[in-house]
Amino acid sequence: MSKNTNNKTTKEKVHSATITGITAPYKTDLFTRIVSLSPTFLLLLLILPVLGGLVCVLLPAFSWVTALEQTTVSLQGFHDLWQTPGLTQMVALSIATGLLSTLLAFVMTLMILAAFFNSVWLNRIEHLLSPILVIPHAAAAIAVGFLIAPSGMFSRLISPWLSGWELAPDGMFPHDPYGISIILGLTLKELPFLLLMALGALAQPELGKKLRQQYKVALNLGYYPITAFFKAVLPVLYPFLRLPILAVLAYASASVEMPLILGPNTPPTLAVTIMQWFNDVDLNLRIKASAGALLQLALTGSLIALWLGSERAIKTCFNGTLLNGKRHYADALWQKITAALTTVVIGFILLALIGLLMWSVAGFWRFPAVLPEQLVLLHFQSAFTQMSTPLFNTITIGIVSTVFAIVLTLLCLEAEQLSQKPLSTFTSLIIYLPLLVPSIAFLFGLVWLQQLVNNQTAFFNVAFTHLLFVLPYVFLSLASSYRRLDPHFAHVAASLGATPAKVFLQVKLPQLFAPILIAIALGLAISFGQYLPTLLAGGGRIATITTEAVTLANGASRRTSAVYAIIQMALPLVGFILAWVLPKYFFKSGKNSSR
Amino acid sequence: MQSSLQIKDLQLYRQGELLLSLDEQIAGGEILTIMGPSGSGKSSLLNWLTGILPNGFTATGEVWLNDKNVSHLPTHLRHIGVLYQDALLFSHLSVAGNIAFAMPQDNKNSAEKLNKKQRREKIEQALEQVGLAGMENRHPDNLSGGQQARVALLRTLLSAPKAILLDEPFSKLDTQLRVDTRQLVFEQIRTHKLPAIMVTHDYSDAEAAKGKVIHLDL
Amino acid sequence: MKLSDTSEAVSRVLAEKSANNNDKGSVDLIWINGANFATMSENSLLLKQWANKLPNFALTDPENNPAVNFDFGVPTNGMEAPWGQAALTFYYDSLSTDKPPTTLNELVNWTAQNPGRFSYPKPPDFLGMSFLKYALVMLHENQDAKIGKNIKAQLNLPATEQNTDMVLAPLWAFLDDLHPTLWRKGEQFVQTGAHMRRLVDDTELSLAFTFSAPEVPAAVQRYDLPESIRSYAMSDGSLSNTHFVAIPYNASHPQAAQLVANFLMSPEAQAKKQTPDIWGDKTVLVLSTLNPEQQALFKDNKPHPSALPFDSIKRTVNEPHPSWVDAIMQGWQTRYGVSP
Repeated sequence: MSKNTNNKTTKEKVHSATITGITAPYKTDLFTRIVSLSPTFLLLLLILPVLGGLVCVLLPAFSWVTALEQTTVSLQGFHDLWQTPGLTQMVALSIATGLLSTLLAFVMTLMILAAFFNSVWLNRIEHLLSPILVIPHAAAAIAVGFLIAPSGMFSRLISPWLSGWELAPDGMFPHDPYGISIILGLTLKELPFLLLMALGALAQPELGKKLRQQYKVALNLGYYPITAFFKAVLPVLYPFLRLPILAVLAYASASVEMPLILGPNTPPTLAVTIMQWFNDVDLNLRIKASAGALLQLALTGSLIALWLGSERAIKTCFNGTLLNGKRHYADALWQKITAALTTVVIGFILLALIGLLMWSVAGFWRFPAVLPEQLVLLHFQSAFTQMSTPLFNTITIGIVSTVFAIVLTLLCLEAEQLSQKPLSTFTSLIIYLPLLVPSIAFLFGLVWLQQLVNNQTAFFNVAFTHLLFVLPYVFLSLASSYRRLDPHFAHVAASLGATPAKVFLQVKLPQLFAPILIAIALGLAISFGQYLPTLLAGGGRIATITTEAVTLANGASRRTSAVYAIIQMALPLVGFILAWVLPKYFFKSGKNSSR
Repeated sequence: MQSSLQIKDLQLYRQGELLLSLDEQIAGGEILTIMGPSGSGKSSLLNWLTGILPNGFTATGEVWLNDKNVSHLPTHLRHIGVLYQDALLFSHLSVAGNIAFAMPQDNKNSAEKLNKKQRREKIEQALEQVGLAGMENRHPDNLSGGQQARVALLRTLLSAPKAILLDEPFSKLDTQLRVDTRQLVFEQIRTHKLPAIMVTHDYSDAEAAKGKVIHLDL
Repeated sequence: MKLSDTSEAVSRVLAEKSANNNDKGSVDLIWINGANFATMSENSLLLKQWANKLPNFALTDPENNPAVNFDFGVPTNGMEAPWGQAALTFYYDSLSTDKPPTTLNELVNWTAQNPGRFSYPKPPDFLGMSFLKYALVMLHENQDAKIGKNIKAQLNLPATEQNTDMVLAPLWAFLDDLHPTLWRKGEQFVQTGAHMRRLVDDTELSLAFTFSAPEVPAAVQRYDLPESIRSYAMSDGSLSNTHFVAIPYNASHPQAAQLVANFLMSPEAQAKKQTPDIWGDKTVLVLSTLNPEQQALFKDNKPHPSALPFDSIKRTVNEPHPSWVDAIMQGWQTRYGVSP
């Protein structure tokens, strides 16, 4: 930013120029000033709430809670935490589910990339899996729960002709004590995300072209396709995946929706227990809960450190392998395994969705029937009568938070171009901050701060909290498109006398119409799917489709929760369909714009 | 055994229209030059030879390498090396790493078994021969264009290919560098007795190759 | 204001109190009883002495009806207005079992013969605790009859350090025997009664219970339970209690809240609430205080096949003192809270 002060001063116009031709100072326009402040604003917007929230959890953890008239620092909270029965199991469950699901999703992503790298299947798999990305975690958990239950689709398909079951058998899923159900749910959600982040990195023109060419070189040198991917492409691609993987790891180890819907309760994961303590009637448990939040922070932090450390270790261990010239590691076998696994995954997802759809319109559907006895619209009808407020809230909060996120992102990306310096790595890291710090750790503190500042409009508090989570995704989505804008258009426009604001609004934005719509759809989808932020920041006063869905998920009616899950999925889909259709009618580009 | 690369009755179609037809045999150490304007199918020919014809292209005909039909083999089994316009050195490996990557595996059964130390020595010797002595541990991005091109050449040669294809490999180098690099490449091709096909639109390349020249017309 | 349970409201009011929000609270009226009421009352979070001044309060016959003046043994002090009553009733799937148990002892035999087909929600869930309280009271009744003592009376008094272990011992023995025959061998428990009901629909369970008998036929009408479900009450006794509405001390609209509370106690509202299609929750009004027109509002003509037959509840069992809830919960958590 400092480079620019040579060209711009913020003083009044000075008309005379000296003979040596010093640039005449001029008054920078409002637009440029706003833009140049945007990155700082972005940073503050992300850092302050998260850090503030953490501090406001730190104090109660050490027993400093003014509401309960306790103002002496003590370690009682931690002491109580240690005494919790089953604490080791909770921690172990959180670690296991977090780590295993991330590993599984990561490995499967790599296998799919490797096996289908230069084949049309990669594109097809991308299109098949992208819709899964926008399914909120709660809806995915509900769908998976239906599938693996003892009376779920799997059992029904093989009963009673194969299994002999007339009544639902004794089963383990969901809610099994090892967290396998949680791992299943998480993996199914994270796999498309990682795959699409990788494909997104590969879609960048220079990187993608270079990697595909180097892949060809490796093939020419005799390397079998899968080996070629692992030895030639992955080492260069991995750094682009690192942050998304860490975000996945952080979420998986601290998530609340998935374990609530699919996990055990004797004991649950650490995050769920902390939430229960915070919400307990006994207000003294707040202290223990805050101590627990710190423990969760340490847990997630250790997992991240573990992952980063393993990266180094693997890099050193396999350095020799990269160079040993071995071209082939049973590639044909791995190809087949990957193809089989991919089919299984897609089949799983399809079956879960079909099951969900059937439950939402099911009349009586006794086990072991594969199809319901009647199809009724009753569930949708009764849900719609109760849904108007949650639906309204969901949509309005989504729009408010997304619009704000888009505007801020665009201004920051514009700042990057005006200052001709890329955003620092610090900024890029901070953008991921709300995704890396476990929400359960800072949200309670943040809510307390929000209460101090503004108690009445819960709507604003919720929208603000959603913004924290929408911003990273919107930024990631827009950044690559924005940076790929041909600067020549802007230069030509400027030489024709257009102000930076005019260039921005009339040259750059129209070119970005399609990517902006996609980013909006993505931001909306993220906001629609938020559970904990809505619940806490709104104090339970703001109901959204997702909060209703989670409440109903383990409730009495599979049918109603199926309806809500379907609505949860339908909302983002509408956004994406619009994002796909509208650019065909507005701001059309002459050629087919394909990535 | 005399090494040879044979293109038998190739008919290459783009979207159903005949683009080019070719029937040639190239002996080891010889260089066949293909020239023609853009769009005449030069790159598509090379793609077909390496087995990666993109969508929209079809072809009939066969590729025979050292009297073996390799037309149905996938790319990684054909042992046909390619030198491109860009050196395309792997940025996650050093110069020596790039070359080591290309060398065949130290297989205990092959006649050419080399242990790690011997591989290193071989790489050092090769680098010396092309005037890049002592550059084993340099990062490829820190080399000049000409240096990168030489490393790419070594990488291709040390992978022990049975034939070599050159896809306008000198077009990004400036004149003097071009002459030197070209001389080096052709020398190596002749020494190793590799059948080679070069695609270019520079006449001086064709002259230096001293082989048959085929012009493709649109 | 949508909350998933009352404890969230308590959290909210506490958060507001600690943020010194003393008259613009976000919650105006809470549906409450039992432990939640005890906590809010102890922490001075509720408005006092308003319920007993409401006009419709007289219709509950407060002079003769301790159920509306005491909440689990704790005096209401006009801090809460009664809204409805509940009793523990059972239901079963007639297609998978035809002889459901009608006493606690029969229950043990039944689960032994039908392992994995019954369970109860994990404490501190209210319904799960109710089952445990029912079991505790019944166990002591049976035991007291044999040994000629009256330990059961201690359940109506606060739990003390001295008597907790002794009073709860029969419950733990009972559960130790029961758990291996339960769903998932008693190593896992459902979180709520709603979840339990869903498992009946899934045919994972054959027997379950509820505090709100009308929810069963309501569920069948919505296809959430099969038509083969039948409801009944245990012949040895049904645990009963009253539920109330209360106003936080810092409510923004206390007058409006009181109007609502009064309306909730009106005969029209109470009758409508008792309609199975709406909720079916039993009224707190004493019918003898109403005129004939008002009494007519409460008659039901076409009972649903899976509904609890009229007058099934032969015997009610009173709730123990609230302090026993904590005692039971602590003991349960220590013994069974973490699966081995």
